[in-house]
Amino acid sequence: MSNVIIRRVKEFLKLYPPFSFLEDAPLEEVAESVEIRFFSKDELLFSKGDQAQNCFFVLRQGSVTLLDTRDDKKSIIEVCDEGDVFGVLALLGQRPYILSAQATEDSLVYAVPVSVFEKLLKENSRVSLYFAAGFASGQVVVRNDLSESQKARSVLQKNQEDRGLLIFTGRSDFNYSKDVLSCGPQTSIKEAASLMESKNVGSIVIVNELFHPLGIITDKDIRNRLVSKGLPNTTPVSDLMSSPVLTKKQDSDFSDLYLTMVKSRLHHLIFTENGTPESPVTGVLSDHDLLLSQGNSPAVLIKALMNTEDIAEMAAIRNRAESLLRYYLENEVTMDFVANIISEINDIIIEKAIRISQNQLEKEFPEQSQVKFCFVSLGSEGREEQLLRTDLDNAIIFEDVPENAFEKTQQYFLEMGEKIVEILLACGFQPCPAKMMANNPLWCQPLAVWKNYFSDWILSPNQNALMKATIFFDFRAIYGTKRFISVLREHIYREISSKNIFLNFLAKNALLNPPPLGFFRNFILEKSGEQKDKFDIKLRAMMPLADIARLLILSHNVVGINNTFRRFEKLAELEPNHSELMREAGKAYEILMRMRAIEGITHNNSGRYINPEKLGKLQRQMLKNTFYPIDELQKIIKVRFQLDYFGS
Amino acid sequence: MTILEADMRWWNFLFSGTQPKADFVTAYEEKNQEKTPGNRPISQLNFVVLDTETTGLNSEKDDLVSFGAVLIRNEKILVNSSREYFFTTNILNRESIKIHEIIEPKNPVSDEFFAEEFLKYIDKHIIVGHHIGFDLKVIERKLAPFGFKNFKNPILDTQYLATRLEKGYHYDLRTGKPGEYSLDSLCERHEVPIDDRHTAAGDAFLTAQLLLKLLKKAEKIGVKDFKSLMR
Repeated sequence: MSNVIIRRVKEFLKLYPPFSFLEDAPLEEVAESVEIRFFSKDELLFSKGDQAQNCFFVLRQGSVTLLDTRDDKKSIIEVCDEGDVFGVLALLGQRPYILSAQATEDSLVYAVPVSVFEKLLKENSRVSLYFAAGFASGQVVVRNDLSESQKARSVLQKNQEDRGLLIFTGRSDFNYSKDVLSCGPQTSIKEAASLMESKNVGSIVIVNELFHPLGIITDKDIRNRLVSKGLPNTTPVSDLMSSPVLTKKQDSDFSDLYLTMVKSRLHHLIFTENGTPESPVTGVLSDHDLLLSQGNSPAVLIKALMNTEDIAEMAAIRNRAESLLRYYLENEVTMDFVANIISEINDIIIEKAIRISQNQLEKEFPEQSQVKFCFVSLGSEGREEQLLRTDLDNAIIFEDVPENAFEKTQQYFLEMGEKIVEILLACGFQPCPAKMMANNPLWCQPLAVWKNYFSDWILSPNQNALMKATIFFDFRAIYGTKRFISVLREHIYREISSKNIFLNFLAKNALLNPPPLGFFRNFILEKSGEQKDKFDIKLRAMMPLADIARLLILSHNVVGINNTFRRFEKLAELEPNHSELMREAGKAYEILMRMRAIEGITHNNSGRYINPEKLGKLQRQMLKNTFYPIDELQKIIKVRFQLDYFGS
Repeated sequence: MTILEADMRWWNFLFSGTQPKADFVTAYEEKNQEKTPGNRPISQLNFVVLDTETTGLNSEKDDLVSFGAVLIRNEKILVNSSREYFFTTNILNRESIKIHEIIEPKNPVSDEFFAEEFLKYIDKHIIVGHHIGFDLKVIERKLAPFGFKNFKNPILDTQYLATRLEKGYHYDLRTGKPGEYSLDSLCERHEVPIDDRHTAAGDAFLTAQLLLKLLKKAEKIGVKDFKSLMR
């Protein structure tokens, strides 16, 4: 439904290419998706090295300069005028900017989301040609028509050839392997795999007798293709390889290389002597090499986080962590490692938020700021399983203080909680809808009150208490006096051992969640609402597993393992007769976490609702396989906790 | 207007103050019980920028002709959140037609549709407008038949904000040049590109762009969070 505001944006865009190539309907779609931002003079829109944002820009009014900084020297590369398009690197995926953009006057800028435009790039050949031409010639800015002054500027600019390298970080920065692992087409998969293993590389190039490339196989291909087709490992590599391969000359224009690789969505590019497949192989470039060269390693991010007190920068770093996460997920890095890294990054952000808030309140509350406290994460963050920035669940436990000091002390911690939560929201986390956060007076209490809470939940396990138990029992200390956590944990185990029936209630609660599969072995889908016909992966598959792991680990009195898949690992040790099943459950949980995170990153949401129709056959089967341990475990629990005799 | 609606209005006129509250009004009021923390930074605040065109300048009598609005989140104007509604009016005022050029409204919306959509739309966001008091009074009358009392949202006037930023808190508008802080002259001073004026949505759009600029100015002089912005 078009209105005046959308029409105005549209009329402006229509004046400038590539928008002028668009038909009315797609142009309207683009106009609707625009977000308008204002940058005051001297403000930076983005900096060299920043992760590309999920949009590119059109200058509406004002003036923006694109700068390169090298060895602290700034040089002007382009001056954008009204209607100019810049920051288009975003269209090449989440790559870092190679120039900085600075407003030289107060400027209004239209931000066009990449997601909307990507579709047009595919559909409209004029638009894609327009952009491709810009990239290949080394232009960062896609200009409309060069006006006279702009022409003059570009003539004055020396080193025209250098420009190609300026877009990307420069070829010399990339390490690609020159020592290529290769084999003939008749080699068996088994042999190829052992070759890869002995050289410790992830791919092998298949060549003919003249060393010309025929195809490539990665370890991921072997697993996916061999497994899904059910082939024997004596199959020759030529049956499974990706072919034909993309080949280029090593010294070809780098922007060209980059674009080919990103557009084709291939993970590998092969260098040959003359750039065609009809000449010998000289090297392999993987997208992994590219990512590493971009400084997106966890160590770099963590270091950057440690060194900043600036909230906007913290948010930017957390966004970069998300593209790291995406890469890890797509490349099947182990979940244990991924969860560890992301939790570490989240923990540092929380810690920073606490320090910032403490500093701000110190003057106003000199006495109260001496009171010991512990900031704890709950729920999925407590279990170190929060990959996406979904709901915040956290709380503050402070030292018991004399009654007359209570009010002021709680006020201090509440204000601190409020500040911390606001910082975390600014870093892109979502608020907890049930308000289980440190800025809620209920969850910002002294140790004695917390002990009472847990005693109450254990002594009178009604529905509400059990719901809280499932969230609060997974607490984890992030910052402060961590001793409070062990005190609380001991208290919980003492209470449970004196009232064992609590575990039966908890067991019953763990079986409340609806089964994932229906009678005919098909997915149980949401019946109505916005998520109609989608599968709730959290409620129906992940929560049952997390609940069971918690229950069993509590029943074994095990302390200090919060992570669901590590809990299952521990349970495999503790219950040798079920060890196989426990391990499978842990694996299942990892797979579910991965699927949910990929879904969430792709659609920029919580990833909770998955459309089974959209899954590939293999993925669908994988998802169904994760349900088997749920079924088995629920049966065991029913018997072990005598739930059939346990009245409601 | 259907006869039924006319009857309703009479009924409400006679028993004003005793209208039963529509569910969506209750929902709106409940949502607004939760207050925005004072230290929330400007970049995290949600604004709804709106404007209306009316049959005249008397907020007690004149009627809504059109309504336009757009949301600002994270200091970005979200074009796809923009709304524009037209209404049927029975007062035809020659002067206002000359200004707005609206004679026959296209696809007019019913009052009930508007009331429900509007309250959902403004949520608990900060309501912003130029000389916003007038618009809110007229809208208030439009919503009264559904048991709506008064606005619970924080309210920010761009005219007030602009004077405050340029002249300080205690500046008396009457002492300045007439029209110095009109939307037109402010847009000109702050270099907001003006296209067609005098449609509600068009003016809301201008006001939104003006607000983006004013917010940045405010941040520069230390007005950085909700509390100091609403002071």
